[in-house]
Amino acid sequence: MIEIIEHTADIRLRVSGKSLQELFTEALRGTIGLLQPQKGARRVQRVVKVEAPDTTILLVDFLNEALSNAHANREAYDDAVFSSLTETSAIAQLTGNDALAFGEDVKAVTYHEAEVRRDPNGQWSTVLVYDL
Amino acid sequence: MEKRALRKIHDWLWEIPKSYRSDMRVPAHVYADEPMLDSMLHDRSLDQLVNVATLPGIRQWAIAMPDAHEGYGFPIGGIAAIDPAEGVISPGGIGYDINCGVRLLRSKHSADEIRDHLPTLVHSVAREIPSGVGRGGPLRLKKDDLDHILRDGATRAVEMGFGNASDLEAIESRGAIDGADPAHVSDHARGRGGDQLGTIGSGNHFVEIDRVDKIFDAEAAKALGIEVDRILILIHTGSRGLGHQVATDFLRVMVGSMQRYGITVPDRELACAPFRSPDGQRYFQAMAAAANFAFANRQVITAGIRRAWKHELNSDIDVIYDVAHNVAKLERHSVGEVLIHRKGATRAFPGQPVLIPGSMGTASYVLMGQQGSMEQSFGSSCHGAGRVMSRTRARSEVAAPELRARLQKLGIIAEAASNKGLVEEAPEAYKDVDAVVDIVHRAGVAKRVARLVPVGVIKG
Repeated sequence: MIEIIEHTADIRLRVSGKSLQELFTEALRGTIGLLQPQKGARRVQRVVKVEAPDTTILLVDFLNEALSNAHANREAYDDAVFSSLTETSAIAQLTGNDALAFGEDVKAVTYHEAEVRRDPNGQWSTVLVYDL
Repeated sequence: MEKRALRKIHDWLWEIPKSYRSDMRVPAHVYADEPMLDSMLHDRSLDQLVNVATLPGIRQWAIAMPDAHEGYGFPIGGIAAIDPAEGVISPGGIGYDINCGVRLLRSKHSADEIRDHLPTLVHSVAREIPSGVGRGGPLRLKKDDLDHILRDGATRAVEMGFGNASDLEAIESRGAIDGADPAHVSDHARGRGGDQLGTIGSGNHFVEIDRVDKIFDAEAAKALGIEVDRILILIHTGSRGLGHQVATDFLRVMVGSMQRYGITVPDRELACAPFRSPDGQRYFQAMAAAANFAFANRQVITAGIRRAWKHELNSDIDVIYDVAHNVAKLERHSVGEVLIHRKGATRAFPGQPVLIPGSMGTASYVLMGQQGSMEQSFGSSCHGAGRVMSRTRARSEVAAPELRARLQKLGIIAEAASNKGLVEEAPEAYKDVDAVVDIVHRAGVAKRVARLVPVGVIKG
């Protein structure tokens, strides 16, 4: 689930999922969605590998890796298949379409306010703040 | 933070004492009048400033300028001078848009002389300079050419035919920061922004055609070739996707390596490494390379504006000055050599022009750095109006047709890549630039020289 929250300078999302994998996938969709891509017809895929000291950093680094690839290759990802996902490492195949244009620039996903948590019901969530 | 935590020093200066929090290494200074301070207390700007005051090696004060607002790690409008031998370098103290900055150009014309040409002039400038999200420029640089730009900045752009050697005399650090090493700029960064030389981008970046509305200091204005009604051109942009990626790459490196260096910070966005460490040096060299890309970017954009000017008016333009407001540099100050981090802050050495872009539809300022900046703020001043309204709120509260009509009523022709980009930068989304400038003027940091009002705006 993705929810947009007000932020003076930029934009903030609250993202949640029933599993870590769902959290990462929803956060990916939220991040790429912020770019407002005008999608082409060509299907694309790209492999992303990330390691980090903890899950929050892992998520932010994963999203920044996806964002870098989206900008550099002009691609808009809408799904991720994880061949491996632990609390400190992720290997995923991102899939989506080529992007003809983006309607919004996102400089980076920041570590600001990000904190991946799991509630007693097993739901994973975090806030993500983006530098536009 | 509560207001009572601050001690009033002057009507324009407040101090957060070192005793406010046990991990502060120095006090914090906030340049603001009381209404501005109240506004800063509404977000986390000052808590972030206190966090900056905890950085290893920080000297004298963490400083917030009157345009300060909440950022990531550092507040935007924040300054820190750090001992390069004992202290750290923090990408969060520079920001994601490395060497975002401003360049001011001088035309030979008065407002009356260009009035009839203005619509075609605005259109012609917009055609010459790509703007908007991720837009690439007309240049396709080979790796060696890009490396030259990253190493030599605006100098290399001039060698490639974009402008005159005399332009370089009017650019901070002559358009190239020493120590840049292209080897530390990743393939990701090159892939993301290497083709964006000569482009404005989106967000709050723009090219403006301005009319000099008011002169405050006749002598200083004369020295800059500025008089009332003269048409000037203001460029506001930075290192584009290349710089964003350099910042992202090294923030990630430093988040991972802080533990190895035994450093803890109160906010991950303040991640840092000892300046003299391999990680610190690599970031500094990559950051300098991205800063040089930004200087070259503004140089190539200037060449595009010159082409439009030549085509429409058959006349040339000169560079008055070009200054960075997101950068780290080694400078010598009264406390010795420091690594000065300026995040949303402008160098303001005595006698140096300081360029303060306002919001679209209000005013921008030309200031002159004063001796007081060396004594109070490590040769630094404010950088703009400072945002007070979120982009989301601006989009919901401002209608593009209404804004265009309002600008037209003010005699401003606006050409924007999108309506969304236009309304997000509406004047009401920003602080009052007149009030911001008044503070640095009264503090003796930078004196007012001239006020500019826009007549033509080209936005991403």
